[in-house]
Amino acid sequence: MRRSTFVSMGAAAALVVAGLSLTPAIGQAPKSGGVLNIMAREDLAQGFATHETATVATSTPSLPCFSNLVFFDPAKKTESMDTVVGELAEKWSWQDNYKNLVFFLRRDVKWHDGKPFTSKDVKYTFDLVREAPEATAKLRINPRKDWYANVEHIEAPDPYTVVFRLKRPQPSLLLMLASGYSPIYAAHVPPANYRTTCVGTGPFKVKEWRKGEFIEYAKNPDFYIKGRPYLDGLRYVIIVERGTRTAALQSGQLDVAFPGETGRTAMEQLKKAVPSMVFQPVAQNVSDNIIMNTKKPPFDNPKVRLAVSYAIDRRGLIQAAHQGGAVLGGAMLPKPYGVWGMLEKDLLALPGYGKPDEMKAQAKKLLAEAGITPQNPLKVEVGVRAIAIYLDMASFVVNELKQVGIEGTLKQVETAQWHPMATRGDYQMGANLTGLGTDDPDANFYENYACGSPRNYSQYCSEEVMKMFERQSQELDPKKRAAMVVDIQKKLEQDAPRPILAQRLDYYAHWAHVKGLVAHNNVYNFSRFQDVWKDK
Amino acid sequence: MKTYLFQRLGIAVLTLFGMSVVIFVLLRLAPGDIVDILFSTGGYVNVEERKAIMKELGIDKPLVAQYLEWIRNFLVGDLGKSYRYDQPAWDIIRPLIPVTLELAVLSTLVAICIGVPTGVISAIRQDTTLDYALRVFSLAGLSMPAFWLGMVIILALVSYLQWIPPVTYVGPRENLWLHIVQFGLPALAVGYRSSALIMRITRSALLEVMREDYIRTAWAKGQSERVVIWRHALQNAILPVVTVIGIEFAFLIGGLVVTENVFNLPGVARFLVQAILWRDYPIVQNLVMFIAVVVILSNLFVDMLYGFLDPRVRYGS
Repeated sequence: MRRSTFVSMGAAAALVVAGLSLTPAIGQAPKSGGVLNIMAREDLAQGFATHETATVATSTPSLPCFSNLVFFDPAKKTESMDTVVGELAEKWSWQDNYKNLVFFLRRDVKWHDGKPFTSKDVKYTFDLVREAPEATAKLRINPRKDWYANVEHIEAPDPYTVVFRLKRPQPSLLLMLASGYSPIYAAHVPPANYRTTCVGTGPFKVKEWRKGEFIEYAKNPDFYIKGRPYLDGLRYVIIVERGTRTAALQSGQLDVAFPGETGRTAMEQLKKAVPSMVFQPVAQNVSDNIIMNTKKPPFDNPKVRLAVSYAIDRRGLIQAAHQGGAVLGGAMLPKPYGVWGMLEKDLLALPGYGKPDEMKAQAKKLLAEAGITPQNPLKVEVGVRAIAIYLDMASFVVNELKQVGIEGTLKQVETAQWHPMATRGDYQMGANLTGLGTDDPDANFYENYACGSPRNYSQYCSEEVMKMFERQSQELDPKKRAAMVVDIQKKLEQDAPRPILAQRLDYYAHWAHVKGLVAHNNVYNFSRFQDVWKDK
Repeated sequence: MKTYLFQRLGIAVLTLFGMSVVIFVLLRLAPGDIVDILFSTGGYVNVEERKAIMKELGIDKPLVAQYLEWIRNFLVGDLGKSYRYDQPAWDIIRPLIPVTLELAVLSTLVAICIGVPTGVISAIRQDTTLDYALRVFSLAGLSMPAFWLGMVIILALVSYLQWIPPVTYVGPRENLWLHIVQFGLPALAVGYRSSALIMRITRSALLEVMREDYIRTAWAKGQSERVVIWRHALQNAILPVVTVIGIEFAFLIGGLVVTENVFNLPGVARFLVQAILWRDYPIVQNLVMFIAVVVILSNLFVDMLYGFLDPRVRYGS
């Protein structure tokens, strides 16, 4: 393969990244040393096996151990194609009109066990995740196989080159590879081992994982970026009780909160108690939404689904359930937090986003057209996970539905039962949260709205929409693609299989002595901590 | 005595067997299993993958086979592997036990140190202002859940001192003072509640004994209040108090869930709840068996103590 034939596309392509340097605080030289104490609200769900999980409880505390091929620039809080920087890949190039993506790898990288990192590891990792016929191992649980459905073949022509050959152009692939959910595994380590320990190439090595208590990392002295990390170590302290977590942060036993953990109320309390504490308001890329089973009455009727969407006052929800700590948005994160979201004028035209009285009147009209009247009310069970962050939202929804003549009953479901129930379609309606591993339309649409996707809980399937997904996915012109994505979002809200109610905000908290830490508008894609230092 | 002890141990074995059946069945009656939880962390379910994991973990076998396998392994000291952590259950359980035992013992000591003297004072100063004050103090202890008190302690400390006890375990050899603080505060919160019960039992038992003829005789002989109360009355009133202390201690072994959560202590109860939520059968089954063993031993110890405290009680004759 001749490199000269590669066609560089876009500013990000062929980008040389010698080091992911984060600009230190002005006038201050980074100091080395110290251990950063970080909040964790639960123990690792599946150890360090990031590819076998879709929860921030595993992916975020595992991030310091791993490296990706590419990652989102730690210094930039809004993630986009332009903020993708190299980690294990020194540079990359699209060729053949975005059908092949070629990565040129670093030559100075060692796994934490001392073995050299090569292209074999990259091929192994993504063959594993996409369950390729040539994969030499299998994941026990594989939530993101669909992300790589368009990859036809992965080649490792030499130890430092990897080629992803695609079935059709897909610029989004790079963004999915940059997600915190796309670390590179070592080919010489069985995937099951990652459930108990971590062999990565990241800035920190796992020192000790005391179950239910803490996860401790030590600086990786062989890290491929010289002079990093600044910290000697990290310690994720697991504190299940919310009040104790906040108290631990307030008392200084913790330096940093967990992503997505600091709501508006907590932020205001902490700010009052510790005026010097730093809060970074960012979006979580986690939405509140309603899932409706489109395969069963009454929600197989689009009018009833639309009526539900009209009935729920989004602004009221943001105030009541989030105390203002959320924003309006469609399926994609709204601007300025994300790059694909709809503008406010578009949002205002969507069901449920206008004046509450008018919206509820519209909901009643639609219900009447579907034969649902005060004399013949609709009774539904609203399934919800028995967790506080779900219940507040679900209670609000039930109250809103009541106002248009839908008698909703909250059915609290234990976590063990929630996903089997949702995947089987064994429910009518549910109050749900959806987190996106990356602010990318492909990652969202194919995962949550595509026909047959196991995480498409509403079992919505529209041929027309699938074609729209395919078209936007292949579109190379970013402006045209953005317009297509907006159209898709409008269509999804009109079809209402999963009306979006709000996009959650986080007031990411840390002490002022923590420097070089920039929270992202996505809870999954920062926390590598290689550029973070303590001014103490 | 020996015969009695053997009888009790025999009953204990039968009780443990019964417990093992109950916990095994109850766990399986709860909806969902570890595989559901694992898939919930992936946000989807796949029937084929589900079957493969069930086979890998051995939970596809008939329940009787699973039970017999557990008991067989348990008897030879193999507690199995945690489904969640993929590590020997004993390696996970072992560090939890000293934490909970220490907290339970300290809490019980706090309860005894507060409950018995206040109960005695309340009884001998019956219907005085002091008695009323102590009864209010006791009632407050019964009314305030230990976790609430714990949370209040944490919030007060952080609000006024910007300080809370360490949120990760500090061993006594690592830092004795911090260790004492770390366990002392929760022991105080839990012990206060238990002390209320002990105080009330002590008071009522003592009041009953104080009306006995032999106490009147002791007073008539001109013995001092100290001797009458501590030597004659309390010694005879102590049996129900000891019973309550034994029950409270046994309860604390499994009942410290919220306190361990609030003070973030890595003990048995906190871990047990997590293991139940994860349907981590090997951990739950073995932790419950551990709790059952402690309860049985604590009851046995209390019964043995009766014989020591009251010469009239003789076993095996």
